[in-house]
Amino acid sequence: MTAPLVAEHLSKWYGQVIGLNDVSVTVPPGVTGLLGPNGAGKSTLLKLMTGQLKPSQGRVLVLGEPIWGNPALYLRLGFCPEQDAFYDRMTGLEWLTALVGMHGLERDAAEASARRALGAVDLLEVADKKIGAYSKGMRQRVKLAQALAHDPDLLILDEPLAGMDPIARRRTIRWIRDWGRQGKSVIVSSHILHEIEAMTSNICLMHNGRILAEGDVHHIRDLIDEHPHKVRVRAEQPRALARELLAEADVLSLTFESGGIVVETAEPDAFYGRLTALAASGTHGAIDEIDSPDDNLQAVFAYLVK
Amino acid sequence: MPSFWAGAARVFDVSLGEMLWSRRTVFMALVTGGPVLVAFVVRVAFALDLPAFRVNDLVVSGPTIFGLMVWVFFLRFTVPVLGVFYGTALMADEVEDRTITYLFTRPIRRGAVLMGKYLAYLACTGFVVLPSVMLIYFLVVPSRGGSLAAGFPSLLIDLALLALGLAVYGAVFAFVGAWFRRPLLMGLVFIFGWEPAVVAVPGYLKQFSIAHYLQGLVPHAIPQDGVVSLLAAVFREVPSTASSLFWLAVIWAVAVLLAVRAVERREYVLDQ
Repeated sequence: MTAPLVAEHLSKWYGQVIGLNDVSVTVPPGVTGLLGPNGAGKSTLLKLMTGQLKPSQGRVLVLGEPIWGNPALYLRLGFCPEQDAFYDRMTGLEWLTALVGMHGLERDAAEASARRALGAVDLLEVADKKIGAYSKGMRQRVKLAQALAHDPDLLILDEPLAGMDPIARRRTIRWIRDWGRQGKSVIVSSHILHEIEAMTSNICLMHNGRILAEGDVHHIRDLIDEHPHKVRVRAEQPRALARELLAEADVLSLTFESGGIVVETAEPDAFYGRLTALAASGTHGAIDEIDSPDDNLQAVFAYLVK
Repeated sequence: MPSFWAGAARVFDVSLGEMLWSRRTVFMALVTGGPVLVAFVVRVAFALDLPAFRVNDLVVSGPTIFGLMVWVFFLRFTVPVLGVFYGTALMADEVEDRTITYLFTRPIRRGAVLMGKYLAYLACTGFVVLPSVMLIYFLVVPSRGGSLAAGFPSLLIDLALLALGLAVYGAVFAFVGAWFRRPLLMGLVFIFGWEPAVVAVPGYLKQFSIAHYLQGLVPHAIPQDGVVSLLAAVFREVPSTASSLFWLAVIWAVAVLLAVRAVERREYVLDQ
């Protein structure tokens, strides 16, 4: 089977700034995680892979063809960008129908595809609601829906879990795994190892515009666990949540910030598990958003590049 | 994969609503609403028979005032201003709002995205400008001996002229927006600096303006009597109708082609 994505000596610079430096990588079929701290070059690589940027040097082949200036390839490629940007006045259904229509489908067929995609990300109930009124999690999901509505062979997802609550996160991870099992190739970027690890064991590790390692996630897993892991939680009742979390042995420190808390934990897996259970039970009110500040991975990468 | 024009049509569908409900629409409503307000004041002044509308005992007629308003308010101000503000923003708005990604990752040519947005600009500005001109016509022309029916062919020509102006200015500034940095500044300098200067002075430089060729089509709308003929005298050296149409078509075609080419070749780097 052809590799869905091949980059050969790919470089990209913006004036004097190097965004990507001589990257060669072959992405195999299935789900592949692109892992690296913010500023590692993940988004630049994804923009090159999706033909939004032109390589300064080298080339990128998507499904066997160069992508820059080759719009026909977008029939087989779906992209979920990182930015939280929409036509807020349109409903989810109108927006998706319009975007799918650009793939050459008639209006009825486009609307049917849009409905299917919204159903796939559990947004059918709010399909006729304006996107401006969607929650952050819904906005993330409608972005996913626009990427998969035309049933592409290759899905490229840039930080798809950013800003989601724990339950939406778990569901999205399950969908991504399922899409991989259905035979789609999926490339997912994240700066959180535990997210990537939950989707796939196949990763590309990026730092400073280079690929540091590719392959199985488990060999860097131990390195991650040696470093305390910070998690930012935005919650309805941060004080009650803090009381609950501080009782656990793996919580090393906890600080309050506006609308939430930042927790440092020695066992991220156990911590994320507990947080998801707490969110599901609603014992301490709603948990609106979890996020991992960048310094967890940064510490590991600093160690790796020594 | 959809054809260039099918892609442009889909982008048009998405962009028209966004454009109509954008912040610029308020600006456009003010720009086009001003002349309507003036027309209303003129109508009242006519009704009161104020002396301001008598020059050397000659009564300035409704059609004369209408022709003057079309030239001064619309062709020399509203149309170029809308062309600059909308044309330069066709791609810039999508880039600034970071929604361009959704359009550029579809199986349509980037040039079709620009074309769809350009057509949406024409429809959007046309929907607002042309009805307001018609409203002014109905307010001003029937006064002082003017006849709605007699002036109607002239109104149609005025509307066509305005649509042509919107198309040409829009195309030129779409190219400026796609090609240059700081396009708005360049556009404003062009319409408020370059064009008034070169049109007012004798010489060949006026051939490098759009206003010069629009003048060639407008004499029927510029009043020929009384004080306004003085204004008309300023705009001598106008080209023939055929020559004006030819050069406006050339400017439009070249600008559209260059804009499409610029968008297809340019990278758009979004701020994170």
